[in-house]
Amino acid sequence: MGELEALEQHDPRVLALKAVLLTVWAVITFGFSYFARDLQFMMGPWPFGYWMAAQGAVLIFIAIVVCYAAIMKRLAPDDSLPDTRESIDA
Amino acid sequence: MPDSAAYAAYKRRLHRNLLVYIAGLIAFLLLMGWAERHGLSRFWLGPIFMFASVMMYAAIGIYSRTSDPEEYYVAGRSIPPMYNGMAAAADWMSAASFISMAGGLYLQGFAGTEAQAGGLAYVMGWTGGFCLVALLIAPHLRRLNLYTVPDYFSVRFGGRWPRVIAALAAMLCSFTYVIAQIYGIGLIASRLTGVQFEIGILLGLGGVLLCSFLGGMRAITWTQVAQYIVLLLAFLIPVSWLAYKQLGNPVAPAVYGAQLKKIAELENKLANDPAEQEVAAIFLRRAKEYEARLGDIEGALRRERAQAQERVRTLKANGADSAVIVQANRELAALPKDVATARERWTRAMQESYERAKPLGGLPQHSKPFAGDPNGSPQEQEAFTLSRRNFLALMFVLMVGTAGLPHLLTRYYTTPTVAEARSSVAWSIFFIALVYLAAPALAVLVKFEVMHNLVGSSFDSLPPWIAQWAKVDGSLISVADVNGDRTLQWGEIRLGADMIMLATPELGGLPYVISGLVAAGGLAAALSTADGLLLTISNAMVRDIYCHEINHHVTPQQRVILSKFALLSVALIAAVVATSKPAEILPLVSASFSLAASAFVPVMVLGIFWPRTNRRGAVAGMVAGLGITMYYLTVNAPPFRAFFGMAPGQQLWFGIHPVSAGVFGVPVGFAVAVVISLMTKPIARPAALATEQAH
Repeated sequence: MGELEALEQHDPRVLALKAVLLTVWAVITFGFSYFARDLQFMMGPWPFGYWMAAQGAVLIFIAIVVCYAAIMKRLAPDDSLPDTRESIDA
Repeated sequence: MPDSAAYAAYKRRLHRNLLVYIAGLIAFLLLMGWAERHGLSRFWLGPIFMFASVMMYAAIGIYSRTSDPEEYYVAGRSIPPMYNGMAAAADWMSAASFISMAGGLYLQGFAGTEAQAGGLAYVMGWTGGFCLVALLIAPHLRRLNLYTVPDYFSVRFGGRWPRVIAALAAMLCSFTYVIAQIYGIGLIASRLTGVQFEIGILLGLGGVLLCSFLGGMRAITWTQVAQYIVLLLAFLIPVSWLAYKQLGNPVAPAVYGAQLKKIAELENKLANDPAEQEVAAIFLRRAKEYEARLGDIEGALRRERAQAQERVRTLKANGADSAVIVQANRELAALPKDVATARERWTRAMQESYERAKPLGGLPQHSKPFAGDPNGSPQEQEAFTLSRRNFLALMFVLMVGTAGLPHLLTRYYTTPTVAEARSSVAWSIFFIALVYLAAPALAVLVKFEVMHNLVGSSFDSLPPWIAQWAKVDGSLISVADVNGDRTLQWGEIRLGADMIMLATPELGGLPYVISGLVAAGGLAAALSTADGLLLTISNAMVRDIYCHEINHHVTPQQRVILSKFALLSVALIAAVVATSKPAEILPLVSASFSLAASAFVPVMVLGIFWPRTNRRGAVAGMVAGLGITMYYLTVNAPPFRAFFGMAPGQQLWFGIHPVSAGVFGVPVGFAVAVVISLMTKPIARPAALATEQAH
């Protein structure tokens, strides 16, 4: 195994992408939940705060992970190449 | 590999097998349904479902048996993302998700009570954690071609302690978790086959062992795919049926909003019902009695005992029926033996009675976020703040714990490439969401069913499933005519979270086949998670501890054999612990999330993203994070306090419940790892090289 294999080099564009997606995640998770009591206006038959916690948040989480996987395919095309390195048997 | 023709053909073959499998499963269900209509008794249906499913998993295990280390530990790194996603979903969705979550949502509504946060925190926590897994951890670990999670600590930081601590932490949190799974297995197996709880555990364990013992990760992957399909069908069929029955549309998550409103109306009606208030008043009186007894435990215990003895004496003197005397004697024997037991038991009874004396039997209003009231009295404001704080803390712990649980992370070691590890996480959260979006819907539909149809029925015509479940475990369900009017009130029903999902088909009037399927689904959820956990524990024991610390000269083949036997013994120990019925499933599982969150996540994230992190910082961070979490968990656990003679009650920091102990462990772990890394010398050269030369 190479010199700096365990210390990964991070592409700044990838780090920025992560930062953006993690911010969305944090706002959805903690922001919306914090104000859930104030967000109970009705959205059709649903109180919005309840719908957000029970369904909306989960759908957004899926979107975050899917976006990340899709964008990373462009940013790091090498990751789709077959693995030629040996497994590490520590 | 991903684009090669061979890989495409391999995937086509897998798709075909999956379709054949699903068709076979549906055919089996239809056959069973047909047999039931033509008089196959329930007595046989349960065992048939149990044995058919366990045998099927065992057959897959036997078919995929292997002794090749690469196959045994990481399934040859050849699992396509979608299948790995399914396997991860089954691995992830444990007995807690399948059996307890819908029940927990039923009991806790949006956010749980003041005393116990929960509800939708579980739905969000157990899905949102995958964002962290995808963005921060899984692809980075996959890149390094490792075998276990402690391997990462060894490769990144070198030396002995990071690996040893990681291995011990992996064993600790996985073991806590596996006990909960085995408890779930025993619960379902005993309900399905009518055997004793302990024998149920052994029956279910047989299936786990055949599979993971023979084929390691490879066998587990394919059984988990099979188990995912079973548990998905088992969850969605009853939900869709209930939704169709109540709302005329089987897509439950899209339509259950209508029932939320009706539940709010029914809740108002129940809160003002005179019979309900009568029941609540009786519970309040009982609570007061217990409180009075607790004021003078010794005296009360003496009085109780004297009364019971007196009663036995008068009964004997009057020549009463022997059954009545036996009953009185039994009551005498059931009295607490000493002051400590009396205090514990009466405190619990008092708290429960106070809880049930509240409106709606202590259950929060279903769609109202958090307890208390931000605009009410100071007490209500306090309750609101604490409830919200605990909700957020629990969610944080579940999410961060997701990113740290070793049995989940190793699942992403099995994809062919790094990019596929990323898409595999996306598939995982998709497959998990199929169940998690339906769980709140199920809770609402069942609540409506109970409030609308069951409440108000006569005690002489209660449905038979109530008695059957009470027989399995008295704590699962209790229905008693508290106010003696022979009519069932909402306040007279106490359901345990663990039985609501399992009893749903009977509650909704579905054919018994569906009950069998639901139980088989719960079994699949518990078995698949137990498989993954046992493999993680035994690999940590053998690969990360034994082969490094005790015996350095083990060939890879011997290592596989050792892993298999370690797995066998861990399974048996866990089974013995589980037979003592330690706690409800959910709290036990949550504790292991706190442990995983604080032991692994801070140091792993720093190790991946901050090159300055060094060995000393890593060790200090892990020990500090894990230490704080374990301290907080134990110092607030009632048995521990009783053992050390501390005053009962809890010492909470900022009012955070012990279940969310990781909320302290994670930041402490981060801070200590950063400070110690900065205080000590940076690593001169990559640790991986050093360890490699050492061998």
